[in-house]
Amino acid sequence: MTRTRTPGISRRSSLMIMGGGALALSAPWVARAEAKTVKIGMPTILSGRVAQLGTSSRNAVMLEVDKINAAGGLAGRQIEMVIRDSKGQPQEAARVARDLVNTDGCELLIDAEASSGAFAVHEVARDLGVLCIHTNSETSSLTADPKQHIPNAFRTARQGVHDSIVGGSYAATIAKAKGLKKWATCSPDYAYGRDTTAEYSFYLKRFSPDVEIISESWPKLFQPDYTEVVTKILQAKPQALYTCLWGGDLTSYIDQANIYAMFGQMEVFAVNMADYTALTVVKNLPKGIHSGNRYIKTFPATPDNAAWGDAYKAKYNEYPTNWSWENATAMMLLAEASKKANSADGKKIAEALRGLTIKCPFGADGTVTMRAEDQTLIGYAIGWGTTIPQEPYVPNVQAGDWKTILALEAEWKKDKGYA
Amino acid sequence: MTELQAERATKTLTTPRDDAASKGWRYLDVLIALAAFAVLASLPFLSSSKALLDFVIRCSAYGLFATSLNLLVGYTGLTSFGHGMFFGLGAYSFGLIMQRTGASIPLAFVATLAITAIVATVIGAICVRLKEIYFAFVTLAFQMLIYSTILSWPSFTGGDQGLRGGIPRPVFIGIDLSNHVQLYLFSCALLVLGLLAMRQIVQSPFGYTLRMIRDNAKRAAFIGIHVWRAKLAIFVMAALFAAIGGMVMALFVSGAYPEFAYWTISGEGIFINMLGGVTTFLGPMVGTVLLLILNDTVTRFTDYHGIVLGIVILFFALGLRKGLMDFVVDWAKQRREKGGSA
Amino acid sequence: MDLDALAGCLASSACLVTQTTSGLIIGMLLFLVAVGLTLIFGVLKVVNFTHGAFYMFGAYFAMTSYQATGSFVLAIVCGAAGTAILGLIFERVFMSRVYGANVLMQLLVCYAFVLIFDDVVRLVWGPEFKSMGMPAAFQVMPLFIAGGVVPPYYLLLIGVALAAAIVLGVGLARTRLGKVIRAAADNPGMVSALGINTGALYGAVFALGCMLAGLAGALAAPVRSLTPGMGFSVLIESFIVTVIGGMGSISGALIGALLLGLIRSFGSQGFPLFTDGLMYLFMVIVLVARPTGLFGKEVA
Repeated sequence: MTRTRTPGISRRSSLMIMGGGALALSAPWVARAEAKTVKIGMPTILSGRVAQLGTSSRNAVMLEVDKINAAGGLAGRQIEMVIRDSKGQPQEAARVARDLVNTDGCELLIDAEASSGAFAVHEVARDLGVLCIHTNSETSSLTADPKQHIPNAFRTARQGVHDSIVGGSYAATIAKAKGLKKWATCSPDYAYGRDTTAEYSFYLKRFSPDVEIISESWPKLFQPDYTEVVTKILQAKPQALYTCLWGGDLTSYIDQANIYAMFGQMEVFAVNMADYTALTVVKNLPKGIHSGNRYIKTFPATPDNAAWGDAYKAKYNEYPTNWSWENATAMMLLAEASKKANSADGKKIAEALRGLTIKCPFGADGTVTMRAEDQTLIGYAIGWGTTIPQEPYVPNVQAGDWKTILALEAEWKKDKGYA
Repeated sequence: MTELQAERATKTLTTPRDDAASKGWRYLDVLIALAAFAVLASLPFLSSSKALLDFVIRCSAYGLFATSLNLLVGYTGLTSFGHGMFFGLGAYSFGLIMQRTGASIPLAFVATLAITAIVATVIGAICVRLKEIYFAFVTLAFQMLIYSTILSWPSFTGGDQGLRGGIPRPVFIGIDLSNHVQLYLFSCALLVLGLLAMRQIVQSPFGYTLRMIRDNAKRAAFIGIHVWRAKLAIFVMAALFAAIGGMVMALFVSGAYPEFAYWTISGEGIFINMLGGVTTFLGPMVGTVLLLILNDTVTRFTDYHGIVLGIVILFFALGLRKGLMDFVVDWAKQRREKGGSA
Repeated sequence: MDLDALAGCLASSACLVTQTTSGLIIGMLLFLVAVGLTLIFGVLKVVNFTHGAFYMFGAYFAMTSYQATGSFVLAIVCGAAGTAILGLIFERVFMSRVYGANVLMQLLVCYAFVLIFDDVVRLVWGPEFKSMGMPAAFQVMPLFIAGGVVPPYYLLLIGVALAAAIVLGVGLARTRLGKVIRAAADNPGMVSALGINTGALYGAVFALGCMLAGLAGALAAPVRSLTPGMGFSVLIESFIVTVIGGMGSISGALIGALLLGLIRSFGSQGFPLFTDGLMYLFMVIVLVARPTGLFGKEVA
């Protein structure tokens, strides 16, 4: 009998392959739980454009873990970090987070993902009930929005709305002093860029009602060529420019704006300038750019902060980033909470974390607090100042006042319908 | 004409059979599907590993997607670079319907398929007129356009942060998808049913029409086949199965992200097909399992997964020069021929 | 959508001139980056998906050379020569094996190398973004030409891009070598039968295409931040330019690039949040109306 069907694998073989495959697959997935060490899983981005986020987060975490383990670990159990790369893809972040808990037996999660990755891990935390500390996502809605509330998720990253309140009030003072009425904005077109710019503009206008935003530009994240943006801004002839571009985008933008001599024509407020990654990389840094602090070892101007920054530099031969201090704070909080709860159990630590205040080199007054109401960090050092092209880069930082910040934040929440 | 097409064209035109024997094959297909489902359904009881179930759920999402892509690439000769747009469309439609309306899951499922069918018909009507590499370019362009739209419409799609807050999973006919094992069984069922349906398509007379078009479209047209209509039909059908894959992924991560509609998903679909082989029906499933295992194990051990993945791809592209299933099938054929001629 | 802003700009002559100028600048930069891709496709009928990776190498070679020697000229030469050599090796050892194969196989081989090259750059130079800095010679005030603002550095880039367009256009059309190359593209068997070493020819053309990518990367380095994977966005843009202009056509790439530059420039006025989308929309329209691109020829 002639076979007129196209050749394919025979039925029997298909079955055998599927069955064999299923058995083979069962092998590696055996959850291992060891009682002596406590495994902490950390999904993060270790490759691609934003690899520095993951590497600097990892560096900071390991720096703290060494200290904690030397002091006895979490309630007597040594910490073992399991750090995995999600390549910046949210579905990978979700898978990695689930794997860390299900396969590797991690009892706690330090979520060092950004943006959408953090939201994806948040859903995993909601599903599995494991303690999860978000360390890098600055999107306010992650903790401010009641729909996102879960008892086991916390955030130790700074919040966009806090930065905008401080930035807006600092800029308003200067705007009033120098008569900067016409402003332009230039921010990357994604949630962080849009939300932060909107909030900054809101608070700027609130503190200095004469201000008018005459031009807005929204380049894409990682866009290489800013020519049309620079020329559009120059055309509009603003007196001041606000930008929340960061990292490589910011240095690219500075290089391109420089050859258009943009910096001589307006005051520039770049919230992410005062980050060592940008400050040490850009070759022709114009003087007098106003910037918020990301991580600067001279602000807060305390010996603890300087010591921490120096220790990081000594160990890793590079400066800490904003992500570094946020992750370090998470570990410090974990250590204190587990001491208070006398346990390394996720639920007990979560209980202890709510409302916990700890001594911290990055605190505005030497301490930071994990606010109980929405489980996010407050009290960390925020300030603005002008940059110079050499150390200490931001010689005078004007610190933001937390009473004002908290009052305005409460108002903002009510406006958004979060309260 | 590509090498693949040149090879095919030298074979004689295969004609479809619609007699008792092929009906017999169809019953066998159903039996195999039931057996496969039984095996998969038994896994939660044989192993306590949640990660294994997660793995199979992801295989189900990517497997449906890759097999649907093969309907276009392997069976019709339509190389699409933009197939991922339907994966993303399925995920977003399902997610949005569940989040914004109070619909039940079966209703959202059907509605998503309807939306995908409409969009695929419109896009397909424009694309399938084009030949070869230009078809590939225009499908890619459409995918990037859809991706751009998703990003630029934050009030509706959540922009770059995607659909947040989780996808509600109300119970339907006693099935509760927030239970991990039930979600697993649901995904397996969708996978098996989807594969069965696609199998029936390719083994039907229509499926043979597609092969004819792939091998020699001019000849097919001379015989009186409406080439354009057939291509459009399979384009829409493939889109539907890709959308089902997207829905499974949306349920798994409880959300939808713009990455689901990015060209990298299309790229992964193509790799899976190349890894597993485009000449067999189950090639893409084999490729899916391979790629996911590769992805999961490599990221465990090194940060430099690019180098490892690159070398593996080169092994398949330059070494084997064909997908794994193709290789296995050809090797088996050679064995049989050698054995026969002894 | 900000159609008022767009209308206002089109009405104001100052804005019109400035935006047109910046559109032309963007376009010429796009062309410089894309011309290598279209050359390789035109002659070798293969889509070089590693194009972005060679751009990246050009930038990194240039930066390293500049940091070591302080000479901008040497940096550019290093960038171009380094990528030419790399391209030649890549073509002879790997690409030549997949010339006849399915386009998906070629895509896979190229993609594998993009992954490998990106990780190699990460290993050698590190994952943090880096900056080359503008050479002192160009740290000058921008010029005012015909009412538009033009930085002198961009004049250099435009000059190089135009030179490349002319040399390639005239070279391929008028010189003997150009004729041989075009003949080899049309009928490699015949050309080989006439005693011409088509292998060496293909290698040379591929190396030339990669060199152009590397040159573009080296020239762009002073105004970009360098990071592994920087080639990817460049690849997408080059791809769009060549597809719109017609794969294989130098003049098509030029016109396509200029059109895209103008769309970006005016689009950012009228559609600040959908500028990318405009580009893809334009690509869809061109492909649907003229699948082979504006100036493309039907591929055999």
